[in-house]
Amino acid sequence: MKLINRRNALKIGGAAAMLPLIGSNAFAKKDKVKAAFVLIGTPDDNGWNYGHDLGRQEMITALGADRVETTVVTNVAEGPDSERVFRELAQQGHDIIFGTSFGYGDAMLKVAKQFPDVKFEWATGYKTAPNLSIYNARFHEGRSVLGTIAGMMSKTGIGAYIGSFPIPEVVMGINAFHLAARKANPDFITKVVYIDSWNDPAKESDAARALVDQGVDVITQHTDGPAALQVAEERGIIGGFGQGADMSAFAPNAHLTSIIDIWSPYYIKAVKSLLDGNWKEGGSWEGLAGGEVVIGDYNSKVPANVIAAAEAVKAGIIDGSVHPFAGPITDNKGTLRVEAGDVIDDGEFWAVDWYAEGVEA
Amino acid sequence: MQLKLEKKLQPSKIMLFATPILAVLLTMVLGAIIFSLLGYDGLGAVREIFLTPILNSLKWQDLAVKAAPLIIIGIGLSIGFRANVWNIGAEGQYIVGGLAATGVALLTHEMSGWWLLPLMAIAGMAGGMAWVFIPALLRTKLKVSEILTTLMLTYVAVQLLNFLIFGPWKSPTSYGQPQTVLFNDFQILPYIIKGTIVQAGAPIAVLIALIAWVLMSKSVFGFQVKTVGSAPNAARYGGFSENKTIWITLLIGGSLAGLAGMLEVAGPFNRMVPQFPTGYGFTAIIVAFLGRLHPIGVLVAGIVLAITFVGGEVAQTTIGLPNAAVGLFQAMMLFLLLAGDVLVRYNIKRVRRAS
Repeated sequence: MKLINRRNALKIGGAAAMLPLIGSNAFAKKDKVKAAFVLIGTPDDNGWNYGHDLGRQEMITALGADRVETTVVTNVAEGPDSERVFRELAQQGHDIIFGTSFGYGDAMLKVAKQFPDVKFEWATGYKTAPNLSIYNARFHEGRSVLGTIAGMMSKTGIGAYIGSFPIPEVVMGINAFHLAARKANPDFITKVVYIDSWNDPAKESDAARALVDQGVDVITQHTDGPAALQVAEERGIIGGFGQGADMSAFAPNAHLTSIIDIWSPYYIKAVKSLLDGNWKEGGSWEGLAGGEVVIGDYNSKVPANVIAAAEAVKAGIIDGSVHPFAGPITDNKGTLRVEAGDVIDDGEFWAVDWYAEGVEA
Repeated sequence: MQLKLEKKLQPSKIMLFATPILAVLLTMVLGAIIFSLLGYDGLGAVREIFLTPILNSLKWQDLAVKAAPLIIIGIGLSIGFRANVWNIGAEGQYIVGGLAATGVALLTHEMSGWWLLPLMAIAGMAGGMAWVFIPALLRTKLKVSEILTTLMLTYVAVQLLNFLIFGPWKSPTSYGQPQTVLFNDFQILPYIIKGTIVQAGAPIAVLIALIAWVLMSKSVFGFQVKTVGSAPNAARYGGFSENKTIWITLLIGGSLAGLAGMLEVAGPFNRMVPQFPTGYGFTAIIVAFLGRLHPIGVLVAGIVLAITFVGGEVAQTTIGLPNAAVGLFQAMMLFLLLAGDVLVRYNIKRVRRAS
């Protein structure tokens, strides 16, 4: 077990593949794989857990029900309680176990050590082991597209970002959103509220209402469900965005577009590599280019020039000409954090604990 | 026509003993029926939740791990409940106990020695006691209900946890994620049975239950607590101070909850994380009542509740029972127990309303 960052995770994975075979069954092909998915909530949240479950279903469709069988465990609390679930699943003979939340990491690393023949996959994780890989998506790339739309469409010039916890993934989503919005409107302000939960519709709605009262007319959120979007619909502001999945059903007028997490390519790849007998330790961090982060349909009220600008940002990120965190970036306390011509690279990403100028957090 | 409850002069001793067992059995029967009606394998659900954890020896270690904090907190609470002192915020004391132990662990992170764990345990108990100090003071000086203050302080404890984890205690090597560093080897409880995950929490829980048993049944203190609870006037006449009893029972409850917090953070967790509050402090209330507020009863009840937790996870993975089912079974157990108590202690009489 070693501490690695996501950039050299791939290198380590590659290096591991070149190592001589450790066990004879390391490259054994399988006729059928038994896969398990451990979720922190339930698939009916229409967001994070829904996305993972959809990925699972598409993976079964792609590989065939005769080649893969799945077990889903829902509402598993992070921490030692999850350790029992992972051990139980390993004991029941699952070949690969996906843990879809950051807080499962310690438990997965422990259980992975006890079951060297079972493969573990830790979503949003940061540490690998010989039988434990990590995978994540570059959600912040989608945030750049949303920020572009928000900056161009907002009349008050004030946007809101309802966050779960101030962890890097969320902080960087806020920065990506805000930096993109400022390109369209240099005076754009993003008000941030944290609700200390991934899924608390009541708190999300309360926060959204309070923010609308403060002049916010575009809301985005990094929580699991559509509650904030429903408030946007109810209050008739310019709009909001779906997070994790298309949420237009909950807010037909306010839903401008959405960031959709597509996990099926990774799930297909992981299970298929197990079937083919060439699964290996590694890290995956794909985004718009890899098709893991997808921008959903645009609402009919989004003007054509805004759609064009959003699509341009998307295309730029995919071909590498646009970077979500291109300098110069000054933080909201006035310190220059990224020089002109420089960017925040993948290694530096996880250490950012500041917000860009104009973010009120 | 109305129904009226009339207190029985002499409730049946056998029935008082039998109701918790009947409540558990009735829960199994009703649970099987309810889940069959909902379209699940009802009998399978009961088998997986209540029997698999007992019959499958691989699950015993999980029972020990899960039951230990419930028993330790439950015993502390049961002593207070005996004296009519309603500390329902053990969760907060558990959190602060864990935080205090974490604080010591972080301060001594570069040190080694056998004395680190005892020091962390003392810190944990002190943390738990500090958290009941405020409710105890408010109750004895200003007659503020401890039910409210202990519960509300739980939410303060959660905020304190978040403040520390997202701020000064955040590990520099965890990619900005809110968690402390891993404790060092001298700050993590040793495994007492080789090849299992059973740490020192389980034997400590049994030891505490035995000590509490002796204390409550043989000492003047035990008699005082019971008298203050069941006959406050007699207690006053007998010279037992109510305030003193409130102070002592709250401090015992707080220190045991704090100790449980230390044993959890130094045991299964190995570091402080935002997911540390797992509801043990609240579940321990069910444990205390299911165990008839008797130390040995609490010991058994803690294991029963642990069975439902562990079994609930088994049922989820094997027959696809929803996670909420466990909560349903636990709530049903408490409800049937309390309902059974009413029937044992009271006669139900029909009363004709005078027209």
